[in-house]
Amino acid sequence: MSTPGSSLATRPVTPRQLDWLRTEIADWTSQGIITEDQAGRISTRLSARYPAEHHARTSIGRVFLHLGAGFVGVGLIWLVAANLDQLSPVTRFAAVAALWLAFLVGGEVLASRHASAPLVGAVRLLAALGAGAVVFQAAQSLQVPAYEPRLVGLWAAGALVHAYLTRAYLPFLVGVLAGVVWWFMQPMWDSSNGLTVVLLMGAASVLAAGLAVLHDGRIDAFAWTWRTVAGGMALLAVFVAAVPDIGGDGIVWSAWLVGALVSAGVVAAAAALTRPGPTALEPLGAVVVLVVATLLGLWTTGTDATDVDAGDWAHAAVSVLAYVALAVALVALGTVRDHPPLTWMAMTGLVVFTTFQSFAVFAPIVTGAWLFVVLGTVFLGTGFLFDRARRELASALDPDAGPSPESGPDLPKGTDR
Amino acid sequence: MNRTVTTGVIAVSQLVLVGVGVAPQLSARLAGDTYVVRVAPVDPIDPFRGAYVALDYPDLRHDDPQSFVDQGLGALDDGESGDLYIALVERDGVWTASEWSRERPGDGPYLACDDRSWQIRCGIESWFLPQDEARETEELLRGGAVAELRIDGRGNAAVVDVRAP
Repeated sequence: MSTPGSSLATRPVTPRQLDWLRTEIADWTSQGIITEDQAGRISTRLSARYPAEHHARTSIGRVFLHLGAGFVGVGLIWLVAANLDQLSPVTRFAAVAALWLAFLVGGEVLASRHASAPLVGAVRLLAALGAGAVVFQAAQSLQVPAYEPRLVGLWAAGALVHAYLTRAYLPFLVGVLAGVVWWFMQPMWDSSNGLTVVLLMGAASVLAAGLAVLHDGRIDAFAWTWRTVAGGMALLAVFVAAVPDIGGDGIVWSAWLVGALVSAGVVAAAAALTRPGPTALEPLGAVVVLVVATLLGLWTTGTDATDVDAGDWAHAAVSVLAYVALAVALVALGTVRDHPPLTWMAMTGLVVFTTFQSFAVFAPIVTGAWLFVVLGTVFLGTGFLFDRARRELASALDPDAGPSPESGPDLPKGTDR
Repeated sequence: MNRTVTTGVIAVSQLVLVGVGVAPQLSARLAGDTYVVRVAPVDPIDPFRGAYVALDYPDLRHDDPQSFVDQGLGALDDGESGDLYIALVERDGVWTASEWSRERPGDGPYLACDDRSWQIRCGIESWFLPQDEARETEELLRGGAVAELRIDGRGNAAVVDVRAP
């Protein structure tokens, strides 16, 4: 039962959420689920407890705080950078380290005083970027080549330590972005070929899908990001694998590549064991993508666009089928998980992939046009069937998931600002 | 874990990671032995870019007639790229290269280098100079100078001084 105090408390929501709720109330009233009187009382309560103007003020304040913090941070770094050549290497390092430490401590002090979330987020973001600046400044001061991939990896590790200890999202984002760059840079540093890239993308998808499942219900915002990375990497893996003759040089094994595959396998196994059931399909699906992409990459056909034989056709057909299957799976996952980026990534990827296969792989335009016609027909059929199946699929895979217009303004579970 | 401890753990962890990143050069400076090698500016006309000078080592350079790399430490041009090692011997009071190898030498002073980019790099190719000392050092380098290197047992090297012979 709610207390009088709680009934007066307000909770900021977006205008779109309010519009959606009012539309639903009108529908319920017209269907007789609630009476006109009840609808009126709910609407009055909505106006009192969920003022849209409050949200607008919050949003404007949030934008100014982010902008202000960003400008101050960039200005400070700019000031130091502009005067760097006046400083000795040790002084440079000390200046950059002092800025990083000020941002790190400042962010946590602000968080402990319950300062506004955007301000805390902005200062923590500066601290995460500053950690990278400290790594690279130390390297420069001691004349370590700044292009070495391990420096990016160390930056990613530092940002992720920050993110996981404080449950801070923006340092997490910095860590994931730097980590993805390192994931590819480090193995490619020793040996680079097409199939290595495919394997790394596939392994990244398996690792990220496993991490997404492991984070579900614990740190939802992190799970969201890992899931986005997993979907993106899966799409890229099949895309690159479908390029004719990408695996002509075979697999060049290196310690880093083996390490990437083993770590992905371990995380996927942990996800499947600790979260059995439908959710385990995510990392297992990523493993299937890795295997299919590798086999596609190893399947070498001709690269001569003017001489398209049966092998080229078969390669293209299987590639397209694999990509369509992956895109449909990601759209389904995006719907079930209420994760729109997966849906638009899959759709965008499919259009780019189809265009690439049509015009880059096979030069004759007529062939490409037929490919579009066939695929368009498949999409129409898939879309029709998918729309009918969507609700049943969602309830079958995730019974607790109710219809939601969009995620609310509250912080995701397990996350700090 | 309260917020102060958490912040401290983050700061220490990130500093440790910075240490890991620069460990080879730090090891050379702190635990390395001193070796003197002849040094010259890469570009005798305008060697100074900002506050750094790019250094050339005539006695460490791998000269290959087929190579298109005509600056710095040269290139090995053996069809491979990756780690490589330059063994050092002393001649007339300065240290010079005696052998270039893909295998780490068993003993003796050597430089641990890398030729994944277009030329050999050993982490000793540049030297910081404050602007007010730049002109003086430019003259010094034109007249011939030596660089004082610190090299540890794993071949990690750092430039600690550039001076007249």
